[in-house]
Amino acid sequence: MAPTTQSPARLIALDGSRGADIAKSAEQLAVELRERGVTCVISRWDASGLFGELAQTAQRATASIRTLSLVYAADLAFRLRWEIGAALESGAVVIAAPYLETAIAFGACRGLPEQWLRELLRFAPPADVQGLARERKLDRGWKPRLDRGYPEYCAALLAPTASKRLPKTLRAGVIATLRSARGGRVYRLEGKGLAQAASAVTVRLRR
Amino acid sequence: MARTVVARTLTQLIAEREGTRGLLIAFEGPDGSGKTTQRKLLKTWLESEGHDVVSTRWASSPLVRPLLKVRKKIRTLSTREYSLLHAVDFRHRIETSILPALWAGKTVLADRYLFTALARDAARGLDLDWLLHAYTPLLWPDLVIYFSMTPEDSQRRIASTRSPHFYEAGQDVTGMADPVASYGHFIDRVVTEYENLAVIFKFVTIDAGDAVYRQHTRVRELVESVEKRPWPEFSKDAVEEWLRQPKAQRG
Repeated sequence: MAPTTQSPARLIALDGSRGADIAKSAEQLAVELRERGVTCVISRWDASGLFGELAQTAQRATASIRTLSLVYAADLAFRLRWEIGAALESGAVVIAAPYLETAIAFGACRGLPEQWLRELLRFAPPADVQGLARERKLDRGWKPRLDRGYPEYCAALLAPTASKRLPKTLRAGVIATLRSARGGRVYRLEGKGLAQAASAVTVRLRR
Repeated sequence: MARTVVARTLTQLIAEREGTRGLLIAFEGPDGSGKTTQRKLLKTWLESEGHDVVSTRWASSPLVRPLLKVRKKIRTLSTREYSLLHAVDFRHRIETSILPALWAGKTVLADRYLFTALARDAARGLDLDWLLHAYTPLLWPDLVIYFSMTPEDSQRRIASTRSPHFYEAGQDVTGMADPVASYGHFIDRVVTEYENLAVIFKFVTIDAGDAVYRQHTRVRELVESVEKRPWPEFSKDAVEEWLRQPKAQRG
C-alpha cells in the first residue's frame, strides 16, 4: 500500500438507484483511493438518524415523497456539518454516498419537480468528482427495506402495501435520470470506471 | 394525454369544491402577543355558531414532533436543520390534517403558519427565497391575522412568565448565555421580518396591546367578512399534489 499523503480536500459524489449498490461502490472506491495513498472517508445516508427514528413512529405510512425529500435535505445538512465539512476541513477526500442526485432522481420519478429538488438542495456544495454506483439486479424494482438506503426506505414507506415492491419501471426511470447528462464528467464505477474516478481525484490533487 | 385528462379532472374537482371547502385562518405574531388566547376564543365562538373547527399548532405533527423535541432539547440543530425539520412538520400537517379538514368543509385555525418559519428563519440569516421554496407548493390562508407588538413588549411579557427556550431565544445565533437577553436581541430581528412580511403578504394587523375582548371582537368581524382566497388561483399546486397522493398519505 502506498504511504498516506496529506492531500487537499476533495468531495466525491456517489449516487445510484439502490442503497446496497451505492454502499458497495463507495467501499470499492475508498479501497482504490487508499491504495493510491489518499486519505478518504465515506459519508453515508442517515448519519443524523432522522430516517431511523421516523421509521419507528406510528405515522410513518403518512409520509409523502415531498416530506421524505425534506427529511433527506435535513439529513444532508447534518452530514455536511458533522461529516463532510469536518472531513474536508481536515484535508481528507470525502466520498458522499449518496449525495444529491439519488434524492433528485428518485423524487423526480415520483412526480416532484426536479427544479424544486435542486433548489431545495442548493445549500450543498458541488462535488469535485461525480460517480454513479454499479447497478446490480437491474431486472428488479426495490424491495422495501428501512435499513438499506434512501430508495429502499422510500419504497418501504410509499409502496401501496408493505409487501409489494415499487415497480422496476420506476427504478429504470431513476437509473435513466441518473445517467442523463448533468454537465461535467460522471464516472460509472464499474470496470475501468473505478480506476478512472480514482485517477480523476488524484490528478486533481496533484494540481 | 392521460396525464392531461387527470390534471383537468383535478382542476375541475378543486373548482367544484371551492364553494363548500372550509376557511383557513392563520394567527401570526411574536411570542407573548396573545395569538393562542385569540385562537381559542374564536374557536369557541365559531363552534357556538355551529361550525366544525380544527386547530393546528406549530411543530405538532406526530411524524416529526418527537424528532424535533429531542434535538431541540439537546441543542444539536444547525439553523438549516432547524428550518428543514419545521418544513417537514408543516408539510406533513398540510397533507394529513389541514387539507383533509378544509376539503371536508371544516374551518382550520392555524396557531402560527408558514410566516412564522419565514420570519424566524430569515432572522437566523437564511435566504428568504430558499425558505419560500422549501415550503412550496404553498397553501395560502384565506386570512392572516397578525398580532402586532414591539420587541420590548414581547420580551417583557415572555420574561414575566418564563425563561425562553434555547431556540426560541435565538441563542443558537446570538451566542448569548442569558436566554432573556438573547431573546431581546433575536425578537427584534423577528419582528422586523414579520413587519416586512405583513406588507408583502397583506396581513390584517391587530394591536396586541389592546384589551383581549376588543381584539376578539375585531377577530370576529374579520372572520365574518372574510372572502375566500380562491384555491384554483392561489393554491392549485398544493391541492392537486395532495389529491394525487394515495389515501394513506392524505390523512
